[in-house]
Amino acid sequence: MNSCLLSAGAFFVLGTSAAFAHVTLETQEAAVGSTYKAVLRVPHGCEGKATTAVRVQIPEGVISVKPMPKPGWTLQVKKGRYEKSYQLHGQAVTSGAREVDWSGGSLPDEFYDEFVFRGTLAADLPAGQTLYFPVVQECDGAAERWIEIPAAGQDEDALEYPAPGLKLSPKK
Amino acid sequence: MSSWRQALFERARRCLHGGDVSAAFLQWTVCAAGQRIGRFAVRVLAAIVLFAAFAAPSQALAHATLVTTEPGDGAVLAQSPAQFSLTFSEPVSPLVLTLVRPDGTPVSLTSFRLNGQTVEIDNPQTLESGTHVLSWRVISADGHPVGGSVLYSIGAPSAAPVVSEAVDRGLRSAIWIGKVFLYVGLFLGVGGAFAIAWLAQGGRSGQRFVIAAILCGLVAAPLSLGFQGLDALGAPLARLARPGVWQAGLGTSFGWTALVALVALGLGLLSLVGPRGGAKLFALAGLASVGAALAASGHASAAEPQWLTRPMVFLHGAGIAFWTGALAPLGLAMRRKPVEAAPFLRRFSQAILPVVAVLAATGIVLAVIQVQAPAALLETAYGRLLLVKLALLFFLFTLAATNRWKLTGPAGAGETEVQRRLARSIGIEMLIVLAIFGVAAGWRFTPPPRALAIAAVQPASVHIHTPKAMADLSITPGHVGPVAASIIIMTGDFGPLDAEQVTLVLSKPDSGIEPIKRAATKRGDGTWRVDDLVVPVPGRWTARLDILVSDFEIVKIQAPIDIRP
Repeated sequence: MNSCLLSAGAFFVLGTSAAFAHVTLETQEAAVGSTYKAVLRVPHGCEGKATTAVRVQIPEGVISVKPMPKPGWTLQVKKGRYEKSYQLHGQAVTSGAREVDWSGGSLPDEFYDEFVFRGTLAADLPAGQTLYFPVVQECDGAAERWIEIPAAGQDEDALEYPAPGLKLSPKK
Repeated sequence: MSSWRQALFERARRCLHGGDVSAAFLQWTVCAAGQRIGRFAVRVLAAIVLFAAFAAPSQALAHATLVTTEPGDGAVLAQSPAQFSLTFSEPVSPLVLTLVRPDGTPVSLTSFRLNGQTVEIDNPQTLESGTHVLSWRVISADGHPVGGSVLYSIGAPSAAPVVSEAVDRGLRSAIWIGKVFLYVGLFLGVGGAFAIAWLAQGGRSGQRFVIAAILCGLVAAPLSLGFQGLDALGAPLARLARPGVWQAGLGTSFGWTALVALVALGLGLLSLVGPRGGAKLFALAGLASVGAALAASGHASAAEPQWLTRPMVFLHGAGIAFWTGALAPLGLAMRRKPVEAAPFLRRFSQAILPVVAVLAATGIVLAVIQVQAPAALLETAYGRLLLVKLALLFFLFTLAATNRWKLTGPAGAGETEVQRRLARSIGIEMLIVLAIFGVAAGWRFTPPPRALAIAAVQPASVHIHTPKAMADLSITPGHVGPVAASIIIMTGDFGPLDAEQVTLVLSKPDSGIEPIKRAATKRGDGTWRVDDLVVPVPGRWTARLDILVSDFEIVKIQAPIDIRP
C-alpha cells in the first residue's frame, strides 16, 4: 500500500515537473502602476549540472527594482538609463537597475530555488500586453538561455526556451 | 541549277550517308574545273577574313552551373519580388529568360544586368498569387548553352505550370551532321591540302577529293554556326533564316571556331589552287588554323587549366589533320601513280610516328582531365562515347601499324600487289576515321564527367532575410553524406552582426529524423562553420539559424534548403 502511494506520489512529482521545466515567474499577471514582487522559479540545472548563476534582464518600464539578497549568492545590480523618464511618487526617474545577477552559488540539479526582486510597473505601460524578463541560467561550463520572446501571433508553447512573461492588467 | 551546284548537292547527300561513301571514297571526284574554283576560293577567303575581322564574337567564357538563386528555388514569397537573381559557378551570358505565370502564359524578361557571376533580372510586373516558373537559358564558356528553371510562389504554391525543355531531335541531328561535315572539311580537306603541299612532292593525286572535302567544310562551318544559334536560343530549325539566330551563334564561343575554321578552309583551298609559290605556306597556316579552330570552343578547351587544355586541343587537332588528311591523297596516289607514290609514302611514314605520339599524348591528357575517375567511363554518356572512340582507335592503330611496318617497306620498293593492298587498307582507315569523327561530334551533346563532378560538389545554398537578421548558408557539397556548413550573418539592413553564438538546426519532419543541432564556430574571416555534419537523406530540409545577438537576445531565422541525393 505504501509503495503504491509512493509510486503515485512519484508519478505526481515527475508528471508535474514538465510544467516546471522552464524558468518562470510565480505571479504571471499584475496591474500596471502597481508594485510587483517577481519570484523567478528555477526548477533544474543545465543538462544535469548545478546552477551557478542566474541573471535577469529588467524590461523597459519596470522601475525602481530592488533584488532580495540570497545567502550563498553574490548579488550584483547593473544600472543604466531608461529609454524614457518615468513618474514615481511625483518624481521623475530616468535610471535604475537594468540587470540583476545572482552568482557564485550552487543549486544542484535535483533541488529547486527561487530568486526574488521587487519593482514598480510604470503607470504608462500598455495594459493587455506581456512583459518579458529574459533569464540566463549559467552552470559550470554550460548555460540555458530563457530569452526567447514569441513573435507577433506566435504560440508561446512553441518556443524551446521562452523568457518568463508577465501579463499586464489594467490599472486598479 | 548549274552543274557544279548539282555536284555539290550530290556530294552533300553522300556526305550525309556515310555508309554509301565507302567504296566510292577514294574515287570521289569534283566535276567543277579546278581553275574556276581557284579564283572563287581567293574571293571567298578574302571575304572570310574581312568577315572575321568585323564580326569577331564576344569574349569566350567558361563552363557554368547554377549555384544559387534569389529568391531561392521553391521560395514562397509574401509579395511579388522586384527582381530575381541567378548566380552561376562562372560568368555567363543570358540568352532567353522567361517567366511562366501560373496559368502557363510566358512573359519574356528582357531587362537584366550582369554582375560578375550573377545575372540580375528585373521583374517587370506585379506577380499574382500562385507558382511561377523562371525558365533560364544561358551560354557558358565552352560555347554550349545550359538551361533550367526555378520555381517561385506568391502567397501560396499552386500546381506548377508546365515548362518543357524538349529535345529538338531534328536540330540535334543537324548540329551533329554539321559537325561531322566540318571535321571532314578541316581534317580531310585542310589536312589533305597540307599533305599534297608538303608530302606529295609535286604529285597532285587526291586533289579533287581534298577540294571536295574543303567545300564540304565551307558549307558546314556557317551552317553549324546557325545551328548553334538555334540551339542557344532554344529555337526550332525553321527559324534558321532569322538574323538573331546567327548573332546568337556568333556570340557563343563556337562563333570563333566557325570563323577560324573558315579561315583554315580558305587557306587550304588557296594552297591547292592559288599561286604555286605560296602553297606550302598556305597549307601550314591552314593546318595551324585547324588546331586553333578546335581550341576555340568545345568541352575540352573549356576545361581547366586552360593553359594546358587549349594547347593540347590545338596539337590534337593539327595532328589529326596531318594524319587523316594524308590518307586520301596517299591512297589515291598508290592506286593510280605508284611510282610517284613511293617518295610520298616514305615521307609520310617518317613523319607519322612523332605525330601519332603527340596525338596519343594530348588525347590521354585531355581524357584524364575530362573523365577524372575511371568509373565515369562506364557511368556517363561522355565516358561511353570515349570508350567507343578508343575501340575505333584500337582498330585504326592496328591497321596503321600493319601498314607502317608490314606494307610500307615493300610498297615503297615498288611491289604493285602490296601497293594495292596498302591502298585498300588506307581506304578502310578512312572509314574508321569517319566513324571516329561521328563519335567525336556526339560529344557535343554530353557534358564531360569533369563538368558533372563540378556540378556535384556545388554547395546547396540559401539566403535568409528577415528584418532582424539575414544569413547566407551554404552546405558543401550540397548532397547527402558528410558536409560542412558555412554561415555568413548580417543584420537585416546589411550591417555587421557580431553574434555571440550561432547554432544550425536542420530538420526534416517528414523523414522521421530528429532535428540535427550543431553549434557553429567562428572563423577568423567572420564566417561561422559547422564541420561535423552528416545529412542522412536527400530532399527539402528546413535550415534554422539560432543567432545569439547579445546575452539576452536571440534571433531565429529559417528557410528551406534542398539537399541533392
